[in-house]
This record gives sequence, C-alpha cells and structure tokens, in this order.
Amino acid sequence: MHLLAKILLRYSSPLLALMAVQPAIFATVDDAQAFALQAAEPYVKQGFQVREDYWGGDLGSGEKKAVRQQLFKGNEYWFWLGTEVDRAKVSVHVYDSDGKLAEESDSWQKGHFAAAHVVPKVTGSYFIIVNIEESPEERTHWALVYGFR
Amino acid sequence: MILFTRHVKLSVGMLFGLALCAYSAQAPQHIDIKQFSTTVEDVVVPLPNEIFLALNKLGPVNWQEHVRSDKGPNFTERPRIALLLGTVIADGFIAVQAEDAPAVKDIGQRVLTLAKGIGVGNSITPHAKAIIDAADKRKWENVRHELDRTQSSVQQAMKEVHDEKLSQLVSLGGWLRGTEVLTSVVTEHFSAGGAELLHQPDLLSYFQTRLQAMQEFNLPIIHQIQDALVEVKPLIDVGDRHIPAESVKKVNEITTRLGHGIVMKD
Repeated sequence: MHLLAKILLRYSSPLLALMAVQPAIFATVDDAQAFALQAAEPYVKQGFQVREDYWGGDLGSGEKKAVRQQLFKGNEYWFWLGTEVDRAKVSVHVYDSDGKLAEESDSWQKGHFAAAHVVPKVTGSYFIIVNIEESPEERTHWALVYGFR
Repeated sequence: MILFTRHVKLSVGMLFGLALCAYSAQAPQHIDIKQFSTTVEDVVVPLPNEIFLALNKLGPVNWQEHVRSDKGPNFTERPRIALLLGTVIADGFIAVQAEDAPAVKDIGQRVLTLAKGIGVGNSITPHAKAIIDAADKRKWENVRHELDRTQSSVQQAMKEVHDEKLSQLVSLGGWLRGTEVLTSVVTEHFSAGGAELLHQPDLLSYFQTRLQAMQEFNLPIIHQIQDALVEVKPLIDVGDRHIPAESVKKVNEITTRLGHGIVMKD
C-alpha cells in the first residue's frame, strides 16, 4: 500500500501540472467556435439560421485576417466572432468589394466576443475582417460563424 | 429631492453612455482591401438555401416544380459521386422549400447511399436518419439544419482523409444545382432583382481555380464543367450593370445541361 502511494505521488504530480496548464496548451479553434456559437445563440430565436460550418485559425495580437464571402441582397446576415481567451479583445467588421464599411450600426464588440450585422445593398463579394485587437497570449484562436434569414 | 433625482438621472445617463461605448464597434469607414491580399481566406461557398431564401423574398416560387428525387444511376468514380452528392443535398433544400416530405425522405436515403459510396457513410448515418424523422414530422427547419450538417460532416470527413478536392466537388455540385434552379425561376418570371442574385463572379473564379488543380480527375464531366464556367463568367461578371434576361436564360441552359451530365451516366 505504501509503495502504491509513492508511485501515485511520483507520477501524479507531472500529470496534475499538465492538467493545470491544459487550457493554454490544448485550447483549439473548436473552443473558439463554442464561444462564437454562444454569441449567436440569442439570434437563433430571432429566426437566423446559423450555418454549421465555421472559419477559424490563430492570430497574434494586433493581427487581422480577411474572409471573403458571397452575400445576397434580400437576405440579412450576422457574423459572430469568438475566442476562448477571455482577456482578449476581438473585433469583426464587414466591407464591400470597394472597401466601404457595409455593416449596420447595431454591430457590437464586447471583450472576446464581437458581431457584425449586414443587410447587403447589392449581391456580391464582401470582406469580413477579423481582428485580434489585444490578447495576453502569443497566438489567439478565433472562430467565425454566420447566420442568415 | 430634485437635486437627488437630477443626480440619479445624470448617473443613469452616464452609465448608459458607457455601456454604449463598450458595445459600439469603432471601425474605419473605408479600407484598402488590397492590404489583405495575402491574408484573404478562400471564398465562402454559400449553401443553396441562402440563394433560395433570397429568391423567395422576391415573390412566390413554385418550388414543387423543381423537386427532383429520382434515384438515378450509381457511379463508381469518387469525383462523380462527390458532384452528385452536392447536387442531391441541394435537391434536399429544394424539397424542403416545397415542403414535400416523401421527396425529402427519398433524398435522405440517397444522400446516405452516396456518402457510403464515397467512404464517409458512418458520419452521415445519424444525419440521414434525422432528415427522415424531421420530414415525417414536417419539421422543415430541422430538415434544413440537418442538410447543412450533412454537407458539413461529409466535407469534414473528406478533409480528415485529405480528400479536399472531393469536398470542393460537393460544394460545386450544390452550387451548380442551386444556380440551375435560380436561373430557371428567374427566366420564368424575370426581374432585375432576381437576376442580380447571379452576380457571383468571385465564387465562379474560385471554382475555376479549384478545377484547374484537379488534373488527376480526368473525367468528361469535369472538363465539361470547366468549359461551361468559361462560358458563364462573362454573363454574370458585369460589374455595376444589370444582368439581362438573355444572360439568365443562357446560364440556365448551361447549368441544366451540366445538371443532366452530373446525374446521368456518360
């Protein structure tokens, strides 16, 4: 019994240490997606169909990424951005193919969540600009989901 | 008391203002898109029902006219199955628009058979069952959601086994079927707004680039689609101008021809 306790003590310490840092090491884009979907949740009740697919990756603090997307006039879209890094500050904005801001004024940003609302004036390509404005992490996972109605 | 009320009003106002600041997103009114030239992701391919939803808002559409649930032949070439799978999923969205439960159930079965043929049946089985269950209960929103999940799961499973090209063919099949139906509806009842939904030049360029990188898929249907996209491009890439009725009709002829090519054996 004494031997068993010793073995447990010896091998459990590194395991416990690993478990303690687990969020930093094993956090993935899937975690970021869970936060993006959390931001989308209230809008589903308003009739938005949230698409199953999502777009994501990791960016350094201050870095931006553009996602090009075909939008259709007549539909209404929300884009939701999330990250699992709760002290990060993220933003998402939508521009038309000429680089003109195309989002509605109720688009919002709050810590590690952000959302942009678009009612396209024309059918065509739009650019969704994802930005990790601030983050305590060297690389910050992000995920973007969208819904339409 | 008046002073106290004024203080309360002022504090509430300030709090409201601060809350607004926290939520308002400061964004430049204009950006140079070219600065993102190296960080732009591929074009996001819309689901067929995004187009159908926009089309529905332009006026009533007789969706039943476009429902297609025949089983068709079985293929052995994986690229052909992938193209057909995308087309059949798009047919599922059309059957949902028409609220045609028997067609949706047939399509659910067909999706499963095709997914098995391409080696991703396991990930699709629960979705196919959910499609059939939801169609039985006429829960159309659930069917739409499951069709979306089906496409996403198929593509995810393909990516996991490094079959990205097949995944792109699923998207292409869905886009072609969606465009075929869109142009058919707009040809019947032409409107500038309906024709404008065809303005998708970046999406078309995206598919052209992807097809160029599929040289190992040396199949007649792939070559036919490549040639057809060259024909379609000038018809829909019109800048700020309107897409005329003749162009819509021409795109419909091309996509209908391709649709037959995808569904039928050579």
